[in-house]
Amino acid sequence: MDAQRAEVRALEAEIAALQRACEELPAPWEGTARVRKSFQETHQSDSKRWESSKDLKSHLGHLKSELSFLSTLTGFNIRNYTKQTEDLAKTEMTEEGIKKVLQRHRLSGNCHMVTFQLEFQILEIQTKENLSSVITDLNIIMEPTEYLELSEFVSRAEERRDLFMFFRSLHFFVEWYEYRKRTFKHFKDKYPDTVHLSEGSCSSCMEIHSARRPGFELVIVWRIQMDEEGKVSPKLDLLTKVPGRALELDRNRVIETAPQNFRTLLGVLGIEAALESLIKLLCAEND
Amino acid sequence: TAGILIPDLCVLAHLERLEAQVNKSHKKSEELQSAQAEESALETKIHQLRHIRDKLRAEVKQRQARANASSANVEPDQTVEISEQDVLERKQENMKAILQAYHFTGLSGKVTSRGVCVCISTAFEGNLLDSYFVDLVIQKPLQIHHHSIPVFIPLEKIAAKYLQTDIQHFLFSLCEYLNAYSGRKYQADQLQSDFAALLTGPLQRNPLCNLLSFTYKVDLGDRSFPFCARLLYKDLTRTLPTDVTVTYQGMEALSTAWEKHRASHETLFCTVPLHRVFASFSREGEKLDLSLS
Repeated sequence: MDAQRAEVRALEAEIAALQRACEELPAPWEGTARVRKSFQETHQSDSKRWESSKDLKSHLGHLKSELSFLSTLTGFNIRNYTKQTEDLAKTEMTEEGIKKVLQRHRLSGNCHMVTFQLEFQILEIQTKENLSSVITDLNIIMEPTEYLELSEFVSRAEERRDLFMFFRSLHFFVEWYEYRKRTFKHFKDKYPDTVHLSEGSCSSCMEIHSARRPGFELVIVWRIQMDEEGKVSPKLDLLTKVPGRALELDRNRVIETAPQNFRTLLGVLGIEAALESLIKLLCAEND
Repeated sequence: TAGILIPDLCVLAHLERLEAQVNKSHKKSEELQSAQAEESALETKIHQLRHIRDKLRAEVKQRQARANASSANVEPDQTVEISEQDVLERKQENMKAILQAYHFTGLSGKVTSRGVCVCISTAFEGNLLDSYFVDLVIQKPLQIHHHSIPVFIPLEKIAAKYLQTDIQHFLFSLCEYLNAYSGRKYQADQLQSDFAALLTGPLQRNPLCNLLSFTYKVDLGDRSFPFCARLLYKDLTRTLPTDVTVTYQGMEALSTAWEKHRASHETLFCTVPLHRVFASFSREGEKLDLSLS
């Protein structure tokens, strides 16, 4: 009988537990709406996050397309950026009403074939009258390093802490670089036997010589220069190589004055037409 | 006669014993009966309880099944999305930061409903200066909706040359003009604010800051050498002048030493930013004393 009594007690306890469980779960006829509602009630904050996650994904899509658009517009592709801010009021002695903040920025990305990595510091000083921002340090690392013209200009930009000039000049340098590449390739394709690019399409020299005129060679040296203010401009020069006998016959000193005349020609015809006229010189008439 | 009583006592005792026995067994059977009754009652109760419990178990199972079915789409993904959320949020922060970072290239923009609003930032020798904007409408032909470019910057000329064919060139060309203007303006402002003591008259300047005229003096002991400088910046994309004339304002003729100084001033103004030339003047005042004595 004790066993029976024990069983009765056990059964009564189980029934009580089951009744409680029944109360917590909604009756089937109340539908899934109730389920969602009660679920939402119990997991209020979680469901909020779930809804914003969907929004987050679409927002990310917007951001991605905005970045892609900016990259196309500027020609710069910024891949990474970090920023640190330091309030100097705590470490430096500042006068009353002057607020000093030092920002450290790190930026990396590429512009066509050139990749850059920048680290710079901006000091923000807020006085009662105005707010001034000054770049106090600038460090630039650029790849590839074989563009000598670029390395010169990098040290100049760092010296002047001129961040915008760096980007502006980089844009124009790359534009000229690509234009030179296209132009050389165009002439190589058009006059394959006469035009020679010893360093490939990325070279800065174009050699013109023809088997029909052995011994004669014209070399166009096309450099991309940057001046102190970061202005980018092309500088083209003509070098001539002629057989000694031809020099003797040259009474009008055509060969001697050729480099000078080439510069004049450039001014008159522009780069492409000037180059083409030189190429045609060494191409036989019946080419 | 004493003999008969004794057996009565024995019988009595015997009867008593029998009675007790019967009572005992009655009790026992009563107990047994009640126990049996209780047992059967319990048995019934157990049956009933078991029945109720089984029904409840089934009910709970059914309700649980329904609850699981309708929350099946929500619960498992919940745990996945919480960690995915963190990844997405971090990505969002990174992308937002990169969008802001474009300002440091000097050229930035924000997509609008019509096209894009481009922001051009200017600076000179590390000093961050004014920003300007150009609101472009993307349609054929590309149009400038409105802008904050000063009127003396040749915006129309630059737009006519590049806007329709090469928008990048248009923007960077505009960057060149605006940065150069900002730089010239900064130099003129610095001269007026920091070196007014060396000027003998007001600085004459035009809005484009490409034509500056001023008079200054170089003191040597008790003598004062007045000069007049005229700076012309023909190339609007440069912050240094293309034409500089420095003339001596004094009555008497200039000595050869001073003629050299005048010529060196002209060179200085052509190659060094204006305010830095004057900074060197205020330093050199002492140097001149030594060299000419």
